[in-house]
Amino acid sequence: MKLRESALAWLFVGPALLCIGLVVVFPLAYSLWLSFTDVNLLRATGPAVELWGMRVPLFHWIGAKNYLQTLADPLYWDSLWRTLYFVGAFVAEATLVGLGMALVLNERFAGRPLMRSLLLVPWSLSRIVVGLLWIGILDFEFGALNGMLLRAGLVDGAISFFKEGWSALNVLISVYMWNQAPFASLLFLAGMQSISEDLYAAAEVDGAGYWRRLWYVTLPALRPIVFLVLVLATVNGFLMLDLIYVLTMGGPGYDTTTVSWHGFKTSFTFFKFGPGTAILYTLTALCLLLTVVYHKLVLARFEPEA
Amino acid sequence: MTMNRRTFLGTTSLAAAAAVLGDGARRPARADKPVNFSGWVFKPDTVKDYVDYFNKKHGGQVKYDAVPWATYHPTMETRAMAGEIVDVMYCNSANRERWVDNGLIRALDDLPGMDELKKKMAPGNLEAARSRDGSKVVGLPYFTSIFILIYNEPMLQQAGIKAPAKTWDELVEHSAKLKRDKVSDTPYLPNWNNSGSGTMPQLLSDCHSEGATVFDAKNRVIVDQEPGAARAMERWQKVYKDGLVNPEVLTKTSSTDTHRLFWTGRYAYHTNHSYYLRTIAGEPENSKLAPKKAKMAMYPGNGQTHMFTEWYTINAKTKVLDDAWKFAKFLGGNQNGDWYVQRQWCLIAGLDNAYPEMYDNPEIVASYDKWIDLKLLREQYKKGRPNNAFKEPWFSEWDSKAIAIVHNMIRGTATVPKGLKELAALQKSLV
Repeated sequence: MKLRESALAWLFVGPALLCIGLVVVFPLAYSLWLSFTDVNLLRATGPAVELWGMRVPLFHWIGAKNYLQTLADPLYWDSLWRTLYFVGAFVAEATLVGLGMALVLNERFAGRPLMRSLLLVPWSLSRIVVGLLWIGILDFEFGALNGMLLRAGLVDGAISFFKEGWSALNVLISVYMWNQAPFASLLFLAGMQSISEDLYAAAEVDGAGYWRRLWYVTLPALRPIVFLVLVLATVNGFLMLDLIYVLTMGGPGYDTTTVSWHGFKTSFTFFKFGPGTAILYTLTALCLLLTVVYHKLVLARFEPEA
Repeated sequence: MTMNRRTFLGTTSLAAAAAVLGDGARRPARADKPVNFSGWVFKPDTVKDYVDYFNKKHGGQVKYDAVPWATYHPTMETRAMAGEIVDVMYCNSANRERWVDNGLIRALDDLPGMDELKKKMAPGNLEAARSRDGSKVVGLPYFTSIFILIYNEPMLQQAGIKAPAKTWDELVEHSAKLKRDKVSDTPYLPNWNNSGSGTMPQLLSDCHSEGATVFDAKNRVIVDQEPGAARAMERWQKVYKDGLVNPEVLTKTSSTDTHRLFWTGRYAYHTNHSYYLRTIAGEPENSKLAPKKAKMAMYPGNGQTHMFTEWYTINAKTKVLDDAWKFAKFLGGNQNGDWYVQRQWCLIAGLDNAYPEMYDNPEIVASYDKWIDLKLLREQYKKGRPNNAFKEPWFSEWDSKAIAIVHNMIRGTATVPKGLKELAALQKSLV
């Protein structure tokens, strides 16, 4: 009987597992493999495997050469420090702004349902559109912001937000935060809605004001959500590519080149898919490492007792 | 006469057969197998129109798909790796030799009519069409282009400047005057954008105009040994430092975006690919400098400038060579004397042509007359310098990585001698 139940279970989950295997596990494993090989798409002459009649080239194994090359490249390290700054600033901004918006939207006020709907607009836009929208706002020549500042007499000449690398990088962070904070806010809001009103009532009886209730009731209850937001924001921050493509193309110079952009260029502009995947797998390793750190810092001490 | 059922069926069958056969005789023979054709996205509706035209008029079975520019070449390589045969493909100059070296595309010399096309092609374009060793022609021209100097005539007149700059010193002087007189905040718009069609073609053009050689006869980068290159870079540093250029041009993502800034009429000078003057001076619905308020002048200095060509290529593994060649010839040459596609690109987009006889066509002459001085453009072409280094396997990576080095020179974060040395060192590191 048990065997039949187990077989039935496998029958039900089998198609889903097969799909996941094909679209998640296989590409991941294959790209990891590529990072240890010498890839030339046009000379797939190495060993190969046949999968359902399709020839999947394995290329020539070269061990850790791609990783060693990556780690010896000063451009990689420059990009990495820039990426760490980008991710740190983005995660902090997206988390704090998302939390702030959620706290406001958790209060009762006229127009709250409309505000909650509008909140999602930046997040629901394609990032290409987001980039173009912000070019329209920040551009030196025709940007709306410069137009308003000039008309109001607040500046003598138009401000160039993309002239200096430092400023361009911070613009990228802010624009990405504008795009992503609503999602964090949505998660926080969902978390807040699940906190029992009794806890707030008890805290009020104990004389706790708004800030103490926030500190002792809301934030502890939101720890799993904070963990989720931190992990998602970190992964998204590391992998962000499309805004760079639309806003700066990694320039001026290399000043907005992050590791993901460096990996993309290496793979898709220079056709060096081996080194390109190696560069991008270092990001995967960093993401995993930070997830463990977040888990230790945010969740581990608050696991429910058995 | 009465008609029974048998007579009726007999006559109608005959009539139907005659109609079908008659129609078939009027139409050209249809190709047996489809020809797969891919290109990057540029006016895909126009491309679709001429594919339809070819299919109808020349009995083709061409299937067209457009791939976004950013991923076009990797996509084509991935498709080749997966065993898909795209018979006719666009290819840009920086990637073409890689496709030759790896056997993706074939030589065209042995195909019927190629010798005729070679005779008709301009020498510079024919040279560019040949493989690195010069032994074979590996592409037919999609279009060709040259860097030109564009000026805003009303703005110069307003400032009392009677003629456009003939030298770079004059251009800098004019720009400084226009800024001083508050006619323009940033009078000069060089094409320093961050894409492959921006900063580096601009660098090659300005070096050529200063008499500098960027690559030696063996295609090695020798720009660090050329005083003309140093002069060009010092001038770039100066105009940037003096605020004569829009500082954000360094982060523009394409030449298209860059040239659109000139539409505003707020710049005096612009250097870019020739075809962009078509929208600047020929599209009143978009540009404040149309019709023909923006004009072309000979490139300053010795007038030499960078020219390049993009390509149609044929897959080496095509199984429909005759049909693929017929279609490729229709695209990159002529089909039975009809230069339909070459003519269309001149008319629709102002893309220049590798076949000089195209400029004798009255329709094209009349069309160009609406936005450019065609005679001057043809003069400028005589001073165009094709770049053979694009055929080297390292070129594509060098060309892309060099942009950051050049931007550092422009911004003054690297000195000119150091930057030029870095350009040469970069090439050596990639060989």
